[in-house]
Amino acid sequence: MRHVVVTGLGAVSPFGAGVKAYWAGLAAGACAIRPLTLFESDGFRCRIAAEVPELTAGSPRRSRADRLALGAALEAIDDAGLADADRAETALMVGAVGGGMLEAEEWYWARARGEHSAPGAALRAILPGSHAETLGHRLGLGGPRHTVVTACSSGAVALAEAAELIADGVVDMAVAGGVDGMTRMCFMGFNTLKLLDPEPCRPFDKDRRGMSIGEGAAFVVLEAAERARARGARIYAELAGHGMTTDAFHVTAPEPEGEGMARAMRAALAAAGVTAGAVGYVNAHGTATPQNDRIEARAIAQVFGEGRVLVSSTKSMIGHTMAAAGGLEAVATVLTLTQELIPPTATLVTPDPELTFDCVPRVAREAAVECAISNSFGFGGQNVTLLFRRA
Amino acid sequence: MEAKEVFDELKTILVARLKFDPRRAAEVAETTPLPKGVEGSIGLDSLDFIELSIAIEETFGVVLDESEELTAHFASFETLARFIVSRRAPA
Amino acid sequence: MQDRRAVVITGVGVVNAAMVGASPALGAWLARPRAAACVPVGGRPAARLPEATLAGLIDPAEARRLSRVCQLTIAGARMAVAESGIDPARGLGLVVGSELGDFTSTIAFADGYLARGASGLSALLFPNTVMNTMAATTAIAVASRELSLTLNVPGVAGELAVARGAAAVAGGRVDAVLAGGVDEIDPLVAEMLGALGDQAMRGEGATFLVLEAEATARARNAAVLGRIDGVAWRSLSARPWGVGRRAASRAIDEARARAGGAAPGWVYGSASGDTALSAWESRVLRAALGAELPAASLGGLLGQHGGLGALRVAAAAWTARSGLLPDDDGATSIRVSGPGLVHGLARGGGHVALMVRAA
Repeated sequence: MRHVVVTGLGAVSPFGAGVKAYWAGLAAGACAIRPLTLFESDGFRCRIAAEVPELTAGSPRRSRADRLALGAALEAIDDAGLADADRAETALMVGAVGGGMLEAEEWYWARARGEHSAPGAALRAILPGSHAETLGHRLGLGGPRHTVVTACSSGAVALAEAAELIADGVVDMAVAGGVDGMTRMCFMGFNTLKLLDPEPCRPFDKDRRGMSIGEGAAFVVLEAAERARARGARIYAELAGHGMTTDAFHVTAPEPEGEGMARAMRAALAAAGVTAGAVGYVNAHGTATPQNDRIEARAIAQVFGEGRVLVSSTKSMIGHTMAAAGGLEAVATVLTLTQELIPPTATLVTPDPELTFDCVPRVAREAAVECAISNSFGFGGQNVTLLFRRA
Repeated sequence: MEAKEVFDELKTILVARLKFDPRRAAEVAETTPLPKGVEGSIGLDSLDFIELSIAIEETFGVVLDESEELTAHFASFETLARFIVSRRAPA
Repeated sequence: MQDRRAVVITGVGVVNAAMVGASPALGAWLARPRAAACVPVGGRPAARLPEATLAGLIDPAEARRLSRVCQLTIAGARMAVAESGIDPARGLGLVVGSELGDFTSTIAFADGYLARGASGLSALLFPNTVMNTMAATTAIAVASRELSLTLNVPGVAGELAVARGAAAVAGGRVDAVLAGGVDEIDPLVAEMLGALGDQAMRGEGATFLVLEAEATARARNAAVLGRIDGVAWRSLSARPWGVGRRAASRAIDEARARAGGAAPGWVYGSASGDTALSAWESRVLRAALGAELPAASLGGLLGQHGGLGALRVAAAAWTARSGLLPDDDGATSIRVSGPGLVHGLARGGGHVALMVRAA
């Protein structure tokens, strides 16, 4: 099987458009979680979120989520120096959940007020699969294309799917990532499940009370290693392995022993042919729900031993960006390797005493690590771990 | 409101919010346990309890504070009805 | 490149408006295909499953917590697993394809808020608004703990799920995968699809296949229903929801190459009732295969839905065994021989090819 490397990065995050703005926010330990502005939130216990401040890509006629996706994908392709001639053979893997639901909600809410209009325009981009259709057509990507919907792990699964296609020799290059725009459905739904913190979320904190919702998009260009070297591409890191498992336990609650999470992490190590000792940093799923963080920490301890790795949660700064999380957090993990800087768990006040890790509280930490992993553990027990190795 | 009236409302909630079959809901007794895993219970899991809490707040006008330990009150229809009656009583 | 393992089909489960059951039920229907009864939905005829049928397939206590589309998925998946006799504890992956997911729950969730504000929102409904809930609930129902994927694409969701599942087995990532598709009918969705130009008649239901590495299937003496020799998926250039013009297909060439260069003698194709899509598919098939091959679609009989693409793969295995290709008009089947091609082409350019032959 062939080695897979990362040769391009693109991101639109709650810190703004571009990887530069994203990394600047992470390195500074800034928190982008603020009062919600995109739609009404009266009557809800949590009224804050991490919104993308301004849409700069794509026409205003496109759905918000499509514009986020376009911004990130265009940046990644440009960053990789993807030649037009290669596009016809380049695969496209997208992780998505909400699709163009925001625009569909506006149409449906208007209908409820008696303002009827034809459904075609508002609903044409509603499905999660619509981003792949839009990006594929707009960017001329003719290789294998599909959309994975695996809840919170969708973006990470998209990268794993692309890596498999390249490793198996089906394609030489792929654009892979995730996108999710803010939607009423998601915001109201997580409020209803009482999983949101009314204040900015505090992963790994003793007093954590739940998640914060975010939005954004991130895409990477993955390439067969030999081909990347042959064309003199800038190689950020190697996507050396991944693991994908299912809890098969409950439709929303994680399995309490973290067995599926641990299995995913071990599978990523095995696929990359590295021992646990080679991993210096874990970019946690770290949603700040009492359950996830406790179970994830237990699983990390099982796999890596207590206190042996640095752990931080990007969600402390950009919230839980749903299908985009796997993509945005993969970009953060890759940059951790190239910049030799670990982004902090920015909102951590009092680390949970039950946790045995240094969770990099509040301030980014200089550290050169050989390997780093990114965990994405989706609603319904869909667990994915991506393992990146220094180039 | 008396415990018996609350019990009848809870049976309505079983059908309207928790999607129980009306015949199944009609069969429950005050002593029927609620949580899954208990012998003879109607088998509610964590998600069902969240739904039930929302319905109780809306139907009876009580406020359920998550920081309180409420598990014992949700053991059976009997304990739940008494709890709701006590919460509705003027202070 | 790693040696690719041979992939076989060891179980099938089908639920739709025309049939319910495993491969015998499917085979009986294919021998004499009868159109599913249609009812008007959103102004167009649709092949809707009678409620009593689904009620008979899922235990009421279980059904309470399952959306309708999840019930369809679990019903189809369970029958496939039962027919295959596989033990999921030995490792079973799951790939679910769906074009539309669960609009019913999404609309009901939104309606709750619009009617009564925040307290009108249902915690039980919310998880169903995320399209992976069919996979999540089915994984619990059949104890599948390996990879789990939900794939969303117009038109070819079922074909893609089976192709993706077969690739996972062929590539040695997992020994067995439960792969298939599911969709349900909803009036708003019917209206939306019509507005977007999609003219295909809608159906609903689920079809799942158990795909296994041939070596492990033979080792446990499983009954083998057919072989999937080569799969590929790509995209042809087209606007979202649009029909393209180019006919050159890499997917068909690649699938054939992976099947050892075999030439298919017959085809199960996508297009039916959608004139523009049918015309495009004809051009693509002719460009790739040279001649006009005997073809069946089943779309006009069962209605387009995620399960149909997977059903076509199971039907291809039946055709490879029986030598009969059903006639979409319900008249006598025609005799065919050799391997066949299952071809999926969708509005927006989704393109899948699977080469199928007898075991």
